[in-house]
Order: sequence, then structure tokens, then C-alpha cells
Amino acid sequence: MAAPSARLGSLSGTNRAFGFRLALPAMLILLALLAVPTVLTVLYSVHDVPPNGAGLGPFVGLKNYAVVFASPVFWRSVQVTVTFSIGFVVLSTLIGLAMAMLLNQDFVGRGLARAMLIIPWATPWLVIGILWKWFADGSVGGLNAVLTQLHLLPAYQEFLSDPNWALPITILAAVWRQASFAGILLLAGLQTLPDELGEAAAIDGASLWQRFTLITIPWLRPVLITVTVLNVIYAFLQFDIVFAMTQGGPGDATQVISILIYRQLFGVTHIGLGSALAVILGVLALVGGLLIVKLLYRPEAVAA
Amino acid sequence: MSEKTNGRAGRINRRSFLTRSAAAVAGAALLPGLMTGAARAAFTGKLSMLGWDFQPDTIKSLVAAWTAKGNPEVDVAIIPNLGYSPAIQTRLRGGDKLDLYYNFAYNSQKFIDQGWAAKLNGLPDVDKLIGDMFESARARHVNAAGDIISVPYFSAVHMLHYNAKMLSDAGIAQVPSTLKEIYDASKKLQAGGLAAPYLAYWVKEFCEEYFHTYLLNEGVTAFDEKGAPVFADDPKTEGVFAWWQSMYQEGLAPKSVLTDDPGKESTQMAQGQAAFFVLHHYFLTSIRSIGGPQSNNVKSAPIGGSNFTLQIGEVLQMGNIADADEKAAAWNLMKYYGWKDENGKFAVFNQWAKAAGLAAPYPGFFTDPDVIASFPSYYDLPQISKVFATGSKVVPARTLAWYPDFQAKVGDLIHPLLLGQATPKQTVDALTKAATDAQGNTGL
Repeated sequence: MAAPSARLGSLSGTNRAFGFRLALPAMLILLALLAVPTVLTVLYSVHDVPPNGAGLGPFVGLKNYAVVFASPVFWRSVQVTVTFSIGFVVLSTLIGLAMAMLLNQDFVGRGLARAMLIIPWATPWLVIGILWKWFADGSVGGLNAVLTQLHLLPAYQEFLSDPNWALPITILAAVWRQASFAGILLLAGLQTLPDELGEAAAIDGASLWQRFTLITIPWLRPVLITVTVLNVIYAFLQFDIVFAMTQGGPGDATQVISILIYRQLFGVTHIGLGSALAVILGVLALVGGLLIVKLLYRPEAVAA
Repeated sequence: MSEKTNGRAGRINRRSFLTRSAAAVAGAALLPGLMTGAARAAFTGKLSMLGWDFQPDTIKSLVAAWTAKGNPEVDVAIIPNLGYSPAIQTRLRGGDKLDLYYNFAYNSQKFIDQGWAAKLNGLPDVDKLIGDMFESARARHVNAAGDIISVPYFSAVHMLHYNAKMLSDAGIAQVPSTLKEIYDASKKLQAGGLAAPYLAYWVKEFCEEYFHTYLLNEGVTAFDEKGAPVFADDPKTEGVFAWWQSMYQEGLAPKSVLTDDPGKESTQMAQGQAAFFVLHHYFLTSIRSIGGPQSNNVKSAPIGGSNFTLQIGEVLQMGNIADADEKAAAWNLMKYYGWKDENGKFAVFNQWAKAAGLAAPYPGFFTDPDVIASFPSYYDLPQISKVFATGSKVVPARTLAWYPDFQAKVGDLIHPLLLGQATPKQTVDALTKAATDAQGNTGL
């Protein structure tokens, strides 16, 4: 008879209490830094808060949410945010995985290449936005030079002024940073993969693709879940790069929800509406993250 | 470089002054007659001032010079221009105490209504300050109810910077002035090989200024004094938008104009990549100082023909100060920074004129010999003064409390027009709705 399975990390009551006490200081700090602003934001979202922040103002129930959901500006922004998020998550995870696979091989200069992987990740989002704004410039940008030299473009293109190009370019800029983050985590995961597994599979006649899909990917699943969930959250909350590159333009081509929130909260100081948008964005990010966990997560079982 | 030196010298003077000033201040408190201003003796604390980062060393040296004349010390904080409005609102909402701050004119009434700024009525010489202004500029600082809500930080008018040689080479004898003339001249220059002759700062945040400029050029004032969007009913509005769309769609303005900054556009003018650049008069300084092959061929001319252009100006506002002595001291600083020093000279404005060609909305500014000497010779000061006096409007609605909401939406609606995603008629309707929503405080 098979031994009853237990989830990894299962603890006795005493250990659980000890663990709780250890975590308590961090939990209190988190409570102050996260829970208080979250509760305040939810409260603001159901009030007509005066711009000067003098109190909550009159309670308006769900009126701010009704205004948001009735606005075509919001729905267009949702469309942009979802498109941005899908592109960002898929590309940064796949490119990160490819970089991790490459840097897990033996080759001359591997140490240097691994060190360079950290550079984009260590660069602030805003700086990357400014760098990419210049890189994508239609007159002097390096991106145009590369693409025209490779004959992929017939002539220089004003990427950021073109509503069809602006969003893909902002996605690429964000992916450039986030792929390195994904690559670092996935490389760490790959380094725990025993060589014997691949060697045994190769002896059994497994092709390269079979070894990748049947050994590497399942082995990396926990890391992949972490990377993907973090990428989803980063994607929905992205502001800096888009703001630095296009401020949401041209028109509304790159107006992600976080830019809409910034404008409502800090530009025109509609605190109630901005807070309602922030709550909606928070829920979207949470749902996106949970969906990924639901799709990818499979509890690891070990013999007790 | 010299400005930095001046800034350092100013700080040193201020420090040395402060080490010796305690006794002087105490003495002045006992003998107020020795001082020219009662506030000078009465307020011994430190004033706080917030500005954006246009030449921060100059700001500090100007304020230090004021302190060195026996006035209170000033704690000057500088934050970036980009995002200044969100930043200052966040600070004030968070309880920051500011005696004096730069502000965008479109925020000024809102700040009064929110209790973040004080009305200036009744303060010494304030009526004289307002009386000194161009009549055209007063509505920016005095609202319809007669409340004085701000004083000038600087002012400017939208003008046409043009390359005289390119026009001459193309056989364009008369500098274009109306929208149609600019379109025709741009077409001619384009046909002659200049890819995109017309430049403007059409990024989202700035479309609102062009919305007014182009409408004024055709004789349409977008809002009446009560803030009603009368542009919606004027048949010329659609024509203005059709012109605007054509300028972009026909490639008379470069595709990148939706995201380019004025620094890049000044360079393009200096390099001869464009023949026209419509923006504030002082961008002539940028174009000339770049020293490109075409810099010296660029001149400025009024736009709008027999109609008007937009007069803009950013402002100084005073925080709501409870202490009477502190308020008097802050007002003295405001008068110095936004008008004249105690010798009746435009000391601060003169410095901005030297630094960047910025102007002050006072007729006396343009006839002051020191100011005239400060402007480079390529500026036609009488012409600019005339535009201020009779050729420009401030559109008073731009300072109303609801206006920032409208201002924030204009770019969102003009960019689709330029990109061909909306017709001129749809854009008129959308802007009318945006104005109505802003006044009703509804919608995103």
C-alpha cells in the first residue's frame, strides 16, 4: 500500500507556532506598508475624496466604479494593458528560458556572459525607458540602424509616433529588462537539474526536444511558476517604461491602466476615480497571478 | 558656467551674510524705521519656496540676492519640471508647508479653491503690480470675481520661427502668418525638396496650447469668460482641425512630431531640416545658441494675421500662510520675483531674459534699458511687446478650477485626429464633451 502523501513543508503544531513567531515582525511591517494603503485605497474608491485630501469626503458607494466601467477610455486602456501584459509575460519568460538554457552550457566566456545577464535587471525601469526612447528614435536611433542594415526595414521608422509600433516597442523595452530577471531565476533552477537525468534519457533514445519537454520543463516548473506569476504582476503594474517612452501616446496607443491611474490620482486629483482604477488594476493583477498558479501549479508529493 | 559661478558666489554671500545678520535683524526689530520693509524686521524665520528645475542655480542665486538685502532666508527646493504638477499636489495634500511656489497657470484657481494658495487682494502694491501688466495678461492673474490669484513667473507668446533664407530661396516673399499661408508655404517648400518643413511641439501634454493657438489664429476664442465651450458652435473650428490634420497627414510635419521634444526640434531648425517652428517666442534663443549651419537664418514673426495668438505664462502662488509677518515676508519675495525689486528694476525677469529669452507681461519690461541690453540683438522686442499688447490672448478659462481636467484630455483627442483615426467633426464633438465632463467633474 502506498504511503500517505504529505505536502512539502508540512510542520507540526509547535513548529508552526515557532515559525509564526519568527515571521511576526515581518508580517507587522508588511501590514503597515501594504494593508493600510490597500484599505485606504479601497475606502477612497467609494468616496468623493476632495483633491486636497482633507478627509474622505461624502460616501458615494460604487459610483466611481460605475464611472470607470462606463468609460470607453477605461476599456481601451484595459485592452492596451492586457495586450502589453501578454506580450511582456510570454516574451520575457521565453527569452529568459532561452538565455538560461544557453548560459547553462559550457563555453568560453560563460562567466562574463552570466555577469552581463544581470546588467539589464540591475538597471532601473525608468532608465531603460529613457534608453529605449533614444534607441527607438526615428532619426538617430540604433534600432532603426540595425533593422535597416539587416534589410528588415526599407527606411527609418518613427516607431514611437506610430500607433501600430509604439506598443510593441514599449513591450520590447520592458522585455529586455525582465527577460534577464527570468533568465537568472531559470538558470538557477537549471543548475539543480542532475546531468544524469538527461544522460539516462539520451541513452534511452530521447531526442533533444523530448529531453527538453519531458525532463527540463517539468524540473523547472516551480521556478517557471514563480517567474510567470512575478512577470504577470510586473506586467499589470508597469508604468515607468511606458511613461518614459510615450507617456501613453500617441493618442491612447500605449495608455496602460497605471498611466490612467497616475493621471487621475496625481494629475487631475480625482482621488476617488483613481483609487477605483487602482483597485480594479490590483484585482486584475491578482486574478492574472492566480490564474497562472492554477494553470501551472501541481502540488509536489513526497512519501511521508 | 558663469551662472554656476554666480550661484556659488550667491551661496557664499548668503552664508557670510547670515553669520553677521543676527544682530542686524535684532536691531532692525527694535528700530523698524531703519529697514525699508516692516516684514523684514518682523519675520525672523525661514521662508520655503518650491520651483521646477529650470536653471536651479539661477533661482538660488536670485533668492540669495534677495536675502542678502536684509530679507529672511529662503529654503529653496527644486523638483523636475516633468511631473511638477502631480508632485506639488501630492506634497500639498500630504501637508507640506510652502510659502511661495511656481505653478502652471491652469492649476491656479484650483489651488485657491483647494485652500493650497492664498488670494493676494489687499496686499501692499498688489493693485499697482496688476495695473503695471499688459491688459491682455491680467485675466491670467485676476479671476472674474476680482480675486488676485497669482503673479507672473514668466510669460511668452506663441510665434512662428522661420528660416528666412529657405523662404527666400523658395520664392516666398511674405512670411506666412495665417494657417492657410503656412500650409501653402509648407507645401511649396516640400515640393522643393524639404521633406517636412513644419515643426511644432505636438506631444500629448502640449496639444492643448496648440488647440488654443490655432483657434485664436483663426479668430476663435475657445471658451467664453464663463467657461462655455463656444468653439463647438463656431463653424471655423472644424476648418482649423482639418488644417491641423492635413499638416500631419500630408507629411508637412514629420511623423515624429507627436513625441519629439523642443530641444530636438530646435536642433532640426538649426540644421536646416525644417523651415517653420511654432512655439513660444523664446525658442529663438535655443535655435540660435545651437550654432547650426542655419541658426543665424532663423527669425521670428507673429502668427494669426489680423487675429490673435496664445499668450502663455506660468505663475507664482502664495501658500495659505496664517502668520501675518511670514505672509508679509513671502509677499515681499513674490513682488521681487514676479515684478520688480525695491529699486523698481525687473531684476529677476532680466535674469530670465538673459538666460533664455523669457519675458514678463509688463509693458515696462520691454522698454527697460537693462532688459533691452539683456536680450540678444536678434530679438525684435518692440514686435514681441506688440504681440503681448494687442496680438495675443490668455483665454481666461485656462485658469478655471475645472480646466486641468480638460487640459489633460486634449492630447488624447487631438492625437487620433492627427493620426487620421478621427475626423475634425468627431474631434470637435469629443473635445466639447471633454469640456462638459470636466466642468461636471464626470468621466475619466
